Amino acid sequence: MLPRRIAAAALAGGFGVFAITAPAAAQAPAQGGAPAPSTTRMVLKGRAPVSPDVLKVKLPRPQEADLANGLHLIVLEDRHLPQITFQIIIPGAGGYFDPPDQVGLASLTGQLMREGTTTRTSPQISEALETMSATLTVNSGMAAASASVAGSSLTENFEKLMDLAADVLLHPAFAPAEWERLRTRSRAGLVQNRSNPNFLAAEALNRAVFGVHPAGRISATAASLDAITPDALVTFHKTRYVPDHAAIAFAGDISLAEARKLLDAKFSGWTKAGVPKPAVTDPAPVGPARVFLVARPGSVQTTLSVGTQSMLRADPDYAALTVVNRVLGGTMGRLFRHLREEKGYTYSVGSFFSATQYRGGWTASTSVRTEVTEPALTDLLAEVAGLRDTPVPDAEFADVKRAIVGSFALALENPQQLLGYYVENWQYGLPSDYWDTYPARVMAVTPAQAQAAAQKYWAPGRLQIVAVGDAAKITDILKKKGDVEISDSDGNPVRQGSAARGFD
Amino acid sequence: MTTPLRRLIPLGLVLVAGVAAAPPASVHFTDSKLRNGLRVIISEDHAAPVYSIVVQYNVGSRDERKGRTGFAHLFEHMMFKGSENVGQNEHPYLIFMNGGSMNGTTNKDRTMYYETLPANQLDLGLFLESDRMKSLAITAENLDNQRNAVQEERRGGVDNQPYGRTFEALDEIAYDNFAYQHSVIGSMADLSAASVDDVAAFFRTYYAPNNAVIGIVGDVDTKTTLSKLEKFFGAVPRQPSPAAVDTTEGAQTEERRRTIDDRLARLPRLDMAYRIPPSASPDTDAIEVLATVLSGGRSSRFYESIVRQKQLSTGVSAFAEESRGPGLFKIIGTALPGKTLGDLEAAVDAEIERLKAEPVAGWEIEKARTSARRAFVSALGSSLSKAVQLSQDALYYDQPGRINTEEERMARVTAADVQRVARQYLVKTGRTVLQTMPKPSAPNGGQ
Repeated sequence: MLPRRIAAAALAGGFGVFAITAPAAAQAPAQGGAPAPSTTRMVLKGRAPVSPDVLKVKLPRPQEADLANGLHLIVLEDRHLPQITFQIIIPGAGGYFDPPDQVGLASLTGQLMREGTTTRTSPQISEALETMSATLTVNSGMAAASASVAGSSLTENFEKLMDLAADVLLHPAFAPAEWERLRTRSRAGLVQNRSNPNFLAAEALNRAVFGVHPAGRISATAASLDAITPDALVTFHKTRYVPDHAAIAFAGDISLAEARKLLDAKFSGWTKAGVPKPAVTDPAPVGPARVFLVARPGSVQTTLSVGTQSMLRADPDYAALTVVNRVLGGTMGRLFRHLREEKGYTYSVGSFFSATQYRGGWTASTSVRTEVTEPALTDLLAEVAGLRDTPVPDAEFADVKRAIVGSFALALENPQQLLGYYVENWQYGLPSDYWDTYPARVMAVTPAQAQAAAQKYWAPGRLQIVAVGDAAKITDILKKKGDVEISDSDGNPVRQGSAARGFD
Repeated sequence: MTTPLRRLIPLGLVLVAGVAAAPPASVHFTDSKLRNGLRVIISEDHAAPVYSIVVQYNVGSRDERKGRTGFAHLFEHMMFKGSENVGQNEHPYLIFMNGGSMNGTTNKDRTMYYETLPANQLDLGLFLESDRMKSLAITAENLDNQRNAVQEERRGGVDNQPYGRTFEALDEIAYDNFAYQHSVIGSMADLSAASVDDVAAFFRTYYAPNNAVIGIVGDVDTKTTLSKLEKFFGAVPRQPSPAAVDTTEGAQTEERRRTIDDRLARLPRLDMAYRIPPSASPDTDAIEVLATVLSGGRSSRFYESIVRQKQLSTGVSAFAEESRGPGLFKIIGTALPGKTLGDLEAAVDAEIERLKAEPVAGWEIEKARTSARRAFVSALGSSLSKAVQLSQDALYYDQPGRINTEEERMARVTAADVQRVARQYLVKTGRTVLQTMPKPSAPNGGQ
């Protein structure tokens, strides 16, 4: 079943006053012989003992404060285990802000910060961290608006970890020798990416959905690695790693007062720069629908991705798209039941969307054996169309909403996950009671609203199709869905006239 | 008997003063057996309104016979296809629709199923696990359907991936005994050959209560849970014990060396496998420290010397997977563009020889110890992690409480122990060296 991995929750949570209440709208799925959802290969006998109640979970609230240098402090205290995690979120330091000819600058700046400070070499930092079994990373996503400095350790080592974090954040050395090492490793990474079908699919889809907007950035290029200079790294750090609009969040064995004291002691050198809040803009609207093929020699599968733009995180449609997307491509959703369980085309299929400060993306994807590329793509698109054309039946709809609300109980085991909810509130300007009222908002979504979201976001004219695989076998199939733009696995366009010859 | 964890862990350590480590907590549990031989480990943890149930069956790919490779894992997929009182796919549907999560996983040594659910759904988890242990629905239609899914899993995970064939080939060369020699996912031909009769016989033989261990951890009451277990599982009949599988390996007397081509890879890769004893061996802890010294994080010797200084590779890992039978200590690294596998292998060998010649430093030993402590504390926070470890250690070692001794065992390993196991096991005559060379297919996209 599903990806064969066990979720290893990192921390325990012991808060959460909860009470058993009758569910607002949902009934236990199998009770009363509710009709099975849309596809075959699922039979609900209704004999298993299901408690009709949904645990109503009250999430613990963090304590928050604003510091003089502009930093917002969030602390989710949980004393169950002797460990603490932290993350510093720095808007303006993400890859979104890379100059277009230096894509990767933010990411490499973050990586190089960890490669030595003015008083510690890279190996000294590694040794100090690992003898404590602590972690410390600087992450700046290729398309993200923010960078983060994050880490965790046992309580007994947390003060030392904060020393290292402050040093990496405030005094990175950006030594030329370390930069050359990092650049060499990064070049090798670019080569490796080209052999990965999922990377190739994501790269092509991002370009189709976002065009040249930074939201579509997925990787540096050989040319951008050449263009980035040590000076550019130093300047990016100096101008962008500022506290003015940043936040620091803690979860675990620490109080607000203890966190403040640590910040005073370790981060007093992080002073306000007096810069405005970094602004982002939305990508140009997506469309028209197009079809892309990445020719990957040796493929025995076709990796299919269908995608488009989604919405802002604060969009009022967020709950409706969450619910209808779960009906479509969530665990045991329609795509799974139809493409995997009914037809046996694939091991794994699902759909996902992101929503941030700028308009994000939505993707449905799967990998299928080459021979079934055509029916798999047709069926995937038909399931999307089904949600546009027909309201979700009541029983299936109630089950999906119950699944979303019910899973909050599991989050209580993991303070880090809970902290993530509150960081999200801060990042996207959501109200402080957002997660308390979220279950009610999910329960309030109607089948008509879900259908309207499907019609709006998954309109046929918006959907971009990408296939990565054996061009000899799938080019003609894709042509049935529209004009096909073909590229090779290095990203170079392939002229159409020659695409049908010279196959292995 | 069962104290909630929150009382065992000292709270509110004085942070800024940097006070010494908290004394180690331990996981309390009960260990009992139903009359039909089903072993049950229960541990209460009321930190969150959640529980996890893990069912470990004492069967893995090592129990497969020739011509039926991949069968244990294919069978795992059949376990979601329904039973007497549970419809096809109703099991996962009920778990997810009630806010839970679940999965199954197969390795060489065991097959494991697990669910995490809100605490008010205890009966649901027990019922679903017991009904399939009792009365799995075995049909040709289900088998064909899941055969497709598994073959697609193989394509996605092996045949369509760079280096996909490499991990299979390494075990095939390093082992002589069929039990551990073949891969868990199995061959396409063998998967195609599996029949409904095979499924029925496998179920009868291995999916018996006396061949399984259940772990339940979380917001449950031990006494109530035990009586529910009796109610749901008590009537599942005991079966004759399956024959023990022969996993013995003859001695390896010379190095084995092979090169394979990979049409999907872009960079050459080096894989090495040294023979080591089963994980129950007293040397296992020292071997674990050895792996940490060589490749645990960026302060490791491989990273500092081979990745950072010599710049031969983006990363070289060394690890020994847990194994009930004869084990392998594996070293894997990809060469950077322009570097050769010969250079990479020489650099790896130099670090291994250094380990044999000089004792490791105190901080390297300390690193392994704190790593074990951190892993223990992290596991305490997850009902699923604890349920997996308690039940698996009961099955593998007959020591469900092994989780509580991990840190102490690692703390006993000395620099001399690490040097001794390096000299004893990291010998060229006991190893396999596999080189994977990129060999692009002719382009299929035209020019």
